Amino acid sequence: MAPTRFIFLILLFYAVNSAAAPMTFKGSTVLMGEGSKNFKRLELSYAITGKESIGLRSFNAKGKQDKVKGNSLFYLNRIKRINKINSQTNLWLYLELGKIDLNTSMQNNAHTYLSPTIQFDFETKRIYNSVSHQILRAVHENFDRTEIKSGFSFYETSYDETQPWFILEITNTNSLSEHVSVIPTFRLINKSLFFEAGISTKGDPKLHLMYTF
Amino acid sequence: MKKMIVILLLCFNSTSFAATQKIEVLGMVCAYCAQGIEKSLKTLNEVDDVYVNLENFFVLVESKNDFGIDETALKNIIVDAGYSVQKIEFINETIQGVRKEYAK
Repeated sequence: MAPTRFIFLILLFYAVNSAAAPMTFKGSTVLMGEGSKNFKRLELSYAITGKESIGLRSFNAKGKQDKVKGNSLFYLNRIKRINKINSQTNLWLYLELGKIDLNTSMQNNAHTYLSPTIQFDFETKRIYNSVSHQILRAVHENFDRTEIKSGFSFYETSYDETQPWFILEITNTNSLSEHVSVIPTFRLINKSLFFEAGISTKGDPKLHLMYTF
Repeated sequence: MKKMIVILLLCFNSTSFAATQKIEVLGMVCAYCAQGIEKSLKTLNEVDDVYVNLENFFVLVESKNDFGIDETALKNIIVDAGYSVQKIEFINETIQGVRKEYAK
């Protein structure tokens, strides 16, 4: 695989996951970490208003012969929310501008990229559904990625109890030979804490932790 | 002396009663999102306690005074946390009492 394609493959499979809205309320700070065997990511975001947050992200990944380090700045905007008595519907815009450094046995390269994502989600106390589409653009590289998440909570809980969820993530990435990924995920929510653990159908485990201050 | 006793009684009365306001909130479907409401309301100086009830979609705010919190301030906080307010009203119950009632 060409080095550049390796970079974007990594980005595509992991970058958009934070578009599951790392924003809760005006003035809040969200710390998020995500990791798997070959990928680690840490990010910090701050809600500047009730609808917008900005953040910094740092990640690194490794392939068979390559290592990637990246840093980016992102902006999240909740374009529209419809609140009903038993549901919440959202439309989000997520913009990311970053720089990645690739180190291989052959060369060291730096790339700048821009990646907007649009996400639509609908949730109740028992059901969660979202669709997102990410566009990734850099020099000579164009990728589109569509992700669908759908799941349910096992039972309804009170505000102080931990709520367990099962979420199925399906992603489709254009321009890649193995373009479909399926990840069954177990999610736990307890007030400030959001935890996910999943394993792809290819056997790759993934952990995702988010905490709001 | 009588005046002093009356003043003391008035002071005692004004600090010993708290007002409880019930806010009916739209869109409050998960604890991770709703914690923003609790944290933001607790930043108000006049607020003594907050109770979030996800099952019945309401939030209770108990104030340190007996006349409650300004409704506009309450509404702004809920909206900044991403939710909509359907109704705000005073109720004749304490948060402690409501907690016990729903804990049964």
